[in-house]
Amino acid sequence: MDQKILMKNEIGKLYIELAEEYNFYAPVKEKGNIVFKKILNPDDIVLEYFNSKVPPKEVLFPEMEVLFEYSLDGKDVEIQDRQDLDEKNVIFGIRPCDAHGFALMATFFTAHGDCEDEIFMKKRANTILMGIGCNEPKSTCFCTSLGGHPFQKDDLDVMLTDLGEKYLVETISEKGKTFIQKLKWLADAKKKDVQQAQELSKKSEESFVTKLDLTDIDKILDPNFEHPIWKEISDICISCGTCSYLCPTCTCFDVIDETDEYNNRGRRIRIWDTCQSCLYTLHTSGHNPRNSCIERCRNRIMHKFSYYPKNYDQIGCVGCGRCVQLCPVNNDIRAILTKIKNIEKEEEISA
Amino acid sequence: MPNPYIPMLTKVKNIVSENKVNDIKTIELEFKNQEDYKAFNYIPGQFAEISLIGKGECPIGIASSPTEEGSIKFTIKKMGTVTSEFHNCEVGDTVGVRGPCGNGWPMEDLKGKNLVVIGGGFAFSTLRSLVLYVLDEKYRKDFGDITVIYGNRDSGEVLYGDVLEEWEKRDDINVVLTIDREEEDWTREVGFVAAIVKKVAPSPDNAVAVVCGPPIMIRTAVAELEQLGWKDYQILNSLEMRMKCGIGKCGRCNIGNKYVCVDGPVFSLEELKKLPNEY
Repeated sequence: MDQKILMKNEIGKLYIELAEEYNFYAPVKEKGNIVFKKILNPDDIVLEYFNSKVPPKEVLFPEMEVLFEYSLDGKDVEIQDRQDLDEKNVIFGIRPCDAHGFALMATFFTAHGDCEDEIFMKKRANTILMGIGCNEPKSTCFCTSLGGHPFQKDDLDVMLTDLGEKYLVETISEKGKTFIQKLKWLADAKKKDVQQAQELSKKSEESFVTKLDLTDIDKILDPNFEHPIWKEISDICISCGTCSYLCPTCTCFDVIDETDEYNNRGRRIRIWDTCQSCLYTLHTSGHNPRNSCIERCRNRIMHKFSYYPKNYDQIGCVGCGRCVQLCPVNNDIRAILTKIKNIEKEEEISA
Repeated sequence: MPNPYIPMLTKVKNIVSENKVNDIKTIELEFKNQEDYKAFNYIPGQFAEISLIGKGECPIGIASSPTEEGSIKFTIKKMGTVTSEFHNCEVGDTVGVRGPCGNGWPMEDLKGKNLVVIGGGFAFSTLRSLVLYVLDEKYRKDFGDITVIYGNRDSGEVLYGDVLEEWEKRDDINVVLTIDREEEDWTREVGFVAAIVKKVAPSPDNAVAVVCGPPIMIRTAVAELEQLGWKDYQILNSLEMRMKCGIGKCGRCNIGNKYVCVDGPVFSLEELKKLPNEY
């Protein structure tokens, strides 16, 4: 593993060197929130941040995205495919949990049916993830309950550790190795830098306040599909969908044609959708398989903690805690999971 | 791999109004590019995502049989935004087609079996495809006895009059048509589909029943079949679900961990009973 040092005051240099070849995305401050944006001026890059409000999934899977464009000519139609999928991207500063989110998205987008989601997969293949470990996780973080870690490297190409004035740079994937080799001016890391990084990682891990045991959670969920606990869990939910819009693993979308009638052209787009909306599953006939909030809340939990393990042998949550922080009624997913874990214990007691 | 959201382009060749109230039409499409037509290799029971570009896309079962060469057909009831637009389209209009999607009827497993096809209302389209396929001279010998029970509210709602007439003339298929209430000039059965199933009493021996229709019809017809000794694995259903992509990406058509668009739409009753009751 190559270990280098990137000084924080060299970020501008890094940007200038990469921006010609890559769309360089990094955290910036916008309306008081941290957002991952394509950088036009390296002075905008924010290095002191916890994480973005909207996960960087929006870089590769934006809230609104063109599937193709069309022009209409009487009875004829001409279709233009997207031309921008080969562009190269760097996402600088992505957190390990969100990088794992990309891995789960790629799993989902390739698992079902005969074709992959070519749009997402092409972009993903052309993207370098240059992540930064989390020195100070928040109280809402629970990645370690999901097999993750604030310094998890597996899903990154390059891993940075914030050592104060500088970053320790470690290449993880082959793609990351080639990428870093081009940055010849990076100094070599010293032994004490590596040691400091290890200490930070350990300290960070120890600071986690939430530790859930989610082993075999799917085996508890499946037989309790009709359990009254789902009513209890959904009672306060207002179906706003914040939890899923801001989830780094949620990928559901709607498809719509937008036509400019005056110019006879338009585009078919996809926009984020949420299983928390009653319209999401509403049939044209009026029938709705998930008609109440109970079924919709249950679907979100079942999808991540039962269907994901069943289909891909892993849990579909990364523990970033956004849904915990931003739920307007404080319906904490960690509390929901704890309630579910306790179903059997309580039944033993009452028996 | 190409962008899976881009449709192949077809032209409307013919439009047939299927019922008296004129809210069900069958649209016949011809591919603009013959390579696309060759690539559109389907079996009965599959569906496609069809679109009027600029108006929207929706999933519709394929009503034609692969044995009807040269074009494909979709029977569309005027229900929502896109289906209403389809009702306004004219011969020569361009229609986008993505597919074929879904698993379709398990044609290989049906070989050597007696088939009992039970349909109600306009859910008959992929059953039309299935029956035309098994009646084709190339395939008829692969299947045993064929019984079709097809029910409608009234005689004006009976789809595919032309093919039904052909089938009734043949001696290698038993066609039983029924309507809910008596009408003048109606010479076939009268009564709900379930009652007719009871009357016809198809034997479950070496047989498969294919049941499509409104939920209440499916429930009552299946109950009759169970009375007659049919087992869950012998009964096939085709499900409908709201869909956007048709290729297992947009998320909404899941029943438990299965996606109706790619794991279905055809499920045996045995498979359905293992899934959560969310359909």
